[in-house]
Amino acid sequence: MKVLMGLVVVSLLVYVAERVDIVRLGYQIERLKTERAVLQRERDELRVKVSKLSSPERIAHLATDRLGMMQPRKDQVVLVHVGPLSPVTSGTAGSGIQLARHVPSK
Amino acid sequence: MKSADQFRGRRIGIAILLMMAFSVVLCRLYQLQVLQAGELTAKADRQHRKAVVLEGPRGTIVDRQGKVLAANVDVPSVFGVPTSLEDPAGVAKDLGRVLHIKADEIERRLKQERSFVWIARKLDPEVGRSLETLSLDGIGTVMEGRRFYPKGFLLAHVLGFAGLDGQGLEGLERRYEPYLRGEKQMLVLQRDALGRTVFPKGLQEQGPSAGHNLALTIDEVVQYIAEKELDEAVRTTRAKGGIVVVMEPKTGAVLALAVSPRFDPNELKSLSADRWRNRALTDAYEPGSTMKVFVAAAALEEKVMKPTTSVYAENGEMTVAGTVIHDHERYGWLTFSQVIEKSSNIGAAKTGIALGEHRLYRYLRAFGFGERTDVDLPGEMAGLLRDPKDWGRRSVASISMGQEVGVTPMQLVTAMSAVANGGLLMKPYLVQSILDGRGRVVYDAAPQAKRRPMSQETARTLGAILEGAVARGTGAKAILPGFRVAGKTGTAQKIDPATGGYSATKFVGSFVGYVPAEDPRLAMVVAIDEPQGEAWGGAVAAPVFRRVAEQALPALGVYSQEPVKFAMAERAPVLVP
Repeated sequence: MKVLMGLVVVSLLVYVAERVDIVRLGYQIERLKTERAVLQRERDELRVKVSKLSSPERIAHLATDRLGMMQPRKDQVVLVHVGPLSPVTSGTAGSGIQLARHVPSK
Repeated sequence: MKSADQFRGRRIGIAILLMMAFSVVLCRLYQLQVLQAGELTAKADRQHRKAVVLEGPRGTIVDRQGKVLAANVDVPSVFGVPTSLEDPAGVAKDLGRVLHIKADEIERRLKQERSFVWIARKLDPEVGRSLETLSLDGIGTVMEGRRFYPKGFLLAHVLGFAGLDGQGLEGLERRYEPYLRGEKQMLVLQRDALGRTVFPKGLQEQGPSAGHNLALTIDEVVQYIAEKELDEAVRTTRAKGGIVVVMEPKTGAVLALAVSPRFDPNELKSLSADRWRNRALTDAYEPGSTMKVFVAAAALEEKVMKPTTSVYAENGEMTVAGTVIHDHERYGWLTFSQVIEKSSNIGAAKTGIALGEHRLYRYLRAFGFGERTDVDLPGEMAGLLRDPKDWGRRSVASISMGQEVGVTPMQLVTAMSAVANGGLLMKPYLVQSILDGRGRVVYDAAPQAKRRPMSQETARTLGAILEGAVARGTGAKAILPGFRVAGKTGTAQKIDPATGGYSATKFVGSFVGYVPAEDPRLAMVVAIDEPQGEAWGGAVAAPVFRRVAEQALPALGVYSQEPVKFAMAERAPVLVP
């Protein structure tokens, strides 16, 4: 009889402990979900920022206005056809490689 | 023993008292648990549960390289609860400082007799963060998805935009609304006494799925080049506007679609609807001489003309149906090739007359004029190509020189792509693939041939003539060193709405062509609307073609195959990978 009572008490305690644990985990899951949402939002924001910063319009503007770059003139660009026998062509066989000739600054 | 009786009496008294107390408790329990059970359970549920409608984020739009063109970000919206505010004026002052809205305006809203008012919606994320530090009673924030177009002006006419509630209103945003829109889901959340969300039983809870993502055929870099050069041309010619469409002729994939003047879809408030109309498909114009390309295709295919056939150009003047047709120069005998190269109106009119109205009409229809190209954008017009039974006596001649017809730039570049593509007319498209929220491909566009308006042989012959039109004819400013360019210029007088006749001052200068002629990688139409000063297509539009092609071809990995004389023999070559 005593053993039986003991078993009932122990299993009740285990049950209660489990329930408490479930509730605790539930809160933890909710907290992590909120955290995930914040991180996702941050990722989305950064993605938009990256896209904004890498826009060709902005880069061209920075290159020409801030760094003083310009579109190479036709006579400053030499197209070299890389033949299949050249030793450096293994990866780029057949493709044209653009060489911009150095132009001494005025 | 008196005391024992006394105690007994007390015990009985206490027992009765206790029983009475317990019966009160029991009655109350019965009342709560049995009589009012339903009502009270419902009341508790109302307090514990909260129903919310969640919407998955709208899909992202990227270019062919995966560059983000439109994306959603959750941003804060601020609301107020006027009924629980003690000092609306003070709160309004604090809020106004952070939100950059007039305090009076906020105060007016906060003084309304309502339990909920919006103060500002879809704020910038930074503003939201500075708002958090304020923590005002009776003021709350909720997160809402806001559409961002990080590239600003770039591709705005194609992308269109979405409204405040995230619904696509224009462009691709509108056309692909059912795909882009996120799933809506009604969720019932359990809350504890502190209002925190309790994870529900059963673990089946899953948020609504996000909208599908679109990957376009547009190349961000080519698009930028097209917009930059078009804007520059519109500025220097002091034109009203302009259009450039760049297409991959073998597939019909649109690489760039630029409309000038541009607009920023992030800043719509001050603009009229006219500004965001995609005029490359909604506005038909009289094409003028560019139409001669397709008249020539019909004549060659029907063997009415050969490139070497002699045509007499009447020294610059010919009377048709009582009206006089002029050439811009006095020509005598021309070969048929020269008719196109020099863009002789009289030669073209004679070609059309030789074909006859029915054959002319049939071929122009076959090239897609007078019908929508079915490109995947909203608002496309079919242009104007009347049935021959409605033609006047001059119509055959007029249509052959590109008058009495209305075409959209999209139709023109699609038809020109057919010439570049060995005579096969492709359906233009802008969306390459659609991916669901988990990155699985839902749809992948395959190039779609519409029909074959001419044989491969005719396309080749016509291509050679069009190369001549650039190398020796009116399109000389489209010449691109190192490449063979084929194309045709056009200059059309606009119809004056006041008189109904042709305007003497308003023109559309255009050029349509493709490059490299031997293996076309891009077809392009350039139209400059109402340029001031010199208006010839060869002068205003052909240079834009050259400048765009010059920069776009290397961006697409197309280099000149011409051998280069290399004068660096005495030094070791410097190789730049």
